[in-house]
Amino acid sequence: MNSQHLLARDTISKGIVWLLAVPALLIPTIVLCYIFWQAAPVLDWGFIVGTTDGAGFGVSDGIFAQLLGSLLLAVMACAIAAPFALGTALYYRTYASPRQQRLLTAMFNMLQGIPPIVFGLCGLVVLVNLFAWGVSLISGAVVLAMVVLPLLVLNTLATLERIPHGYTEAGMALGLGNGAIIGRLWLPRSWLNLLTGVLLAMARALSETAPIMFTATVFSGVVWPDSLFSPVTTLQTHIFYLAQESNDPQVISIAWGSAAVLVLLVASLGVLARLLYKLGED
Amino acid sequence: MALKWWLSASALLSSMTILLVLGFLLQSSWPLIQQQGATFIVGTEWYPFESLYGMLPAFIGTVWSVTLALLIALPCGVAAAILCAELLPPRLRSTVRFAMELMAGVPSVVYGLLGMWLLLPLLESQLNLLTGRTLLAAGLLLALMILPTIMVLSEDAIRAVRQSQRETAKNLGIGWDATLWRVLLPQAWPGIRVATLLATGRAMGETVAVMLVVGSIDRIPEPFYNFLQPAQTLTSRIGREMAEASVGSLHWAALLFCGLMLATMAVAISLLTHRKVAAV
Amino acid sequence: MFRCWLSVLLLGVSLAGPLHAVAATIKVAGSTTVLPIVAEAAKLYRVIHPDLSLTVSGGGSGVGVANIERGIIDIGMASRPLSDSEVRRLNTTTDVIPVARDAVAVAVSKVVYESGVQGLSLPQIAAIYRGEIRNWRELGGPDAPILVIDKEASRGTRHVFASVVLGNARARAPGATIITGSNNEEQAVISRSDQAIGMLSNAWLNDRVRAVAVGDGEHAILPTAENIASGRYAIKRDLNILVPKNSSDDVRGFVDFLRSEQGRMIVQAVGFHPVR
Repeated sequence: MNSQHLLARDTISKGIVWLLAVPALLIPTIVLCYIFWQAAPVLDWGFIVGTTDGAGFGVSDGIFAQLLGSLLLAVMACAIAAPFALGTALYYRTYASPRQQRLLTAMFNMLQGIPPIVFGLCGLVVLVNLFAWGVSLISGAVVLAMVVLPLLVLNTLATLERIPHGYTEAGMALGLGNGAIIGRLWLPRSWLNLLTGVLLAMARALSETAPIMFTATVFSGVVWPDSLFSPVTTLQTHIFYLAQESNDPQVISIAWGSAAVLVLLVASLGVLARLLYKLGED
Repeated sequence: MALKWWLSASALLSSMTILLVLGFLLQSSWPLIQQQGATFIVGTEWYPFESLYGMLPAFIGTVWSVTLALLIALPCGVAAAILCAELLPPRLRSTVRFAMELMAGVPSVVYGLLGMWLLLPLLESQLNLLTGRTLLAAGLLLALMILPTIMVLSEDAIRAVRQSQRETAKNLGIGWDATLWRVLLPQAWPGIRVATLLATGRAMGETVAVMLVVGSIDRIPEPFYNFLQPAQTLTSRIGREMAEASVGSLHWAALLFCGLMLATMAVAISLLTHRKVAAV
Repeated sequence: MFRCWLSVLLLGVSLAGPLHAVAATIKVAGSTTVLPIVAEAAKLYRVIHPDLSLTVSGGGSGVGVANIERGIIDIGMASRPLSDSEVRRLNTTTDVIPVARDAVAVAVSKVVYESGVQGLSLPQIAAIYRGEIRNWRELGGPDAPILVIDKEASRGTRHVFASVVLGNARARAPGATIITGSNNEEQAVISRSDQAIGMLSNAWLNDRVRAVAVGDGEHAILPTAENIASGRYAIKRDLNILVPKNSSDDVRGFVDFLRSEQGRMIVQAVGFHPVR
């Protein structure tokens, strides 16, 4: 009797879990399929390598310039953030006192929570206006570097933490200084995992729209920026403008196509990062 | 000592970033505080042409959209995590989890596109609304966006509960239902709470997807719990008005104050997250 | 490691330096109403001057004016006359050059138009935007609430519309349901709704987005080409570009192109009326 009662309760709880969980798993899947279904008609090689002239809202041609701009911004953001992130994480592991370590952790947890648009605002105030860099590649890259910095630092810290203590202690016993320990023990051992972190940071930088909207992008007219101080066009803002501004089904399908390309790009970076991570573990 | 110089400098500079960000925001929004005191924070009217910079409508809109998103995403996300961690066979589990991790990385602007061209028409046709651009639309979109995050992190927390405890519960003859409520969820709760707080932060700061679907009108819904009306959020206001405010004007300062509010809320959430982690 | 990064950065800068010197850039931003004209002109101009980098982006008239003032763009676009304070700040440094003439149409959804709302008087439109009329039934249309679309405060279209309809360029519209930004965004909302009214540049009208005649009874006037040219249609404006007086020859060249016979043809092709 009692066990039957228990069984009934089990069934009900399991039922509730299934009831809530199935939509939670199904709806995102359907949504993902929907994106690719909508994108399918425009997705071909010409779409990716073509450039749009910008008049008439990119109805014709492809998204090459936007793709290039997005990648350029993401790569530059990581190139700017990586040395700082690595330096900070190494400082944490070598010179920092326990109190400094606690402070640094708290700072980066806070930084990670700051909404990206806030960095965009700061970039607009400081870089675009105060430094007079204008709406440009470099402004956007620095803003995105701030967005990915906490992610890179925390990731690098986690990587360094996984290095066995014995390894480091052996190095110290041999009389190696900090420089040698970092250069000969830590980095050779964990560079694959560090690269994983950079790939994840790139994926993050590629996903952000709000911070670069006022600091780095224009709607059209750029294929390859002439200098660090020229604006770019990006896939993210392209999708945004097309979604917001257009009413023409053909243009919207271009927006879906761009979205599919962006999702694929971010996902493949994620998969690549995972593979590298596994490689680094072995 | 080039090495030590590099390490210290980057540590100093990176950790100062947060202070610099908050400092610049405060400094740039100072003219507004100086001129209007703190009363504008609880003001209910935002109309830059008349120097009215009431923060309340957008603040309420932000709180509402995030609350709606959490009400939907939290139960569903945790249920999905339980299903994944406890009920599905391992093979299927890793597939589902991988898919959810990928979903968590989908750029927010893609959700914006989905909101505009899938969610809004759906809402308009199903609910017979004047316009689909409502707090509900923003809440649903945000829920979809934070669901994978909640699910993935909660699953980690549930799976971190030791197998021995599950077995003890089984040996004691406690049913699945009681194990879930008395053992698994309480043990995993700190992790789920962190997941929730992180998701709250992300939903609160989301800009482009929200500004496409929320209607962007600076008005408190009437009555205030009516989430079927268009509204405004802090992020959508910044997104729509920032480019056009002239540098140094009061309007500019007010928009930067919106940013400061967002940053302050984010810092508060992260302190809360942190304290809970430290307490575990 | 550090030195390695430094050299990569330096290499980047040194590569970027010479490139910067080679190509001249013209940045244009502002009103989305003027955007199609300039974007189309830029497309042709790039063919004539392939060495020139010409970028065009929107944002609204407010953005055009603000960015010219900040000095971060070369040409601003504004679909409204400058306000008094803007004139005071800018008239010694900047030329305001009209490139086209346009009407702000009072646009309604197709369903509303076809059910009989084909003309509205200025007081009626004002009452809608003040929230005094809330249902199309009161105007002879279907029994459906009105979806009143307002525009972001800095938009040129809104300035012109508000000054004619509501009596003040900066008047509030308490009857508004939602706020949109560009003409495209508003056009999309109106065409997807069955009960919307909005303010829209004449060039954005189509089958699903219809203009109503503005005025009383027989004096109601549609924003047709003749009525705009003759000035009879009330809600009208010049589409301007803002050019700093100390612009480079490259910028001047593009401005002259916009004002040339070819430029006028572009204006007409895009759906506006050239300025003589």
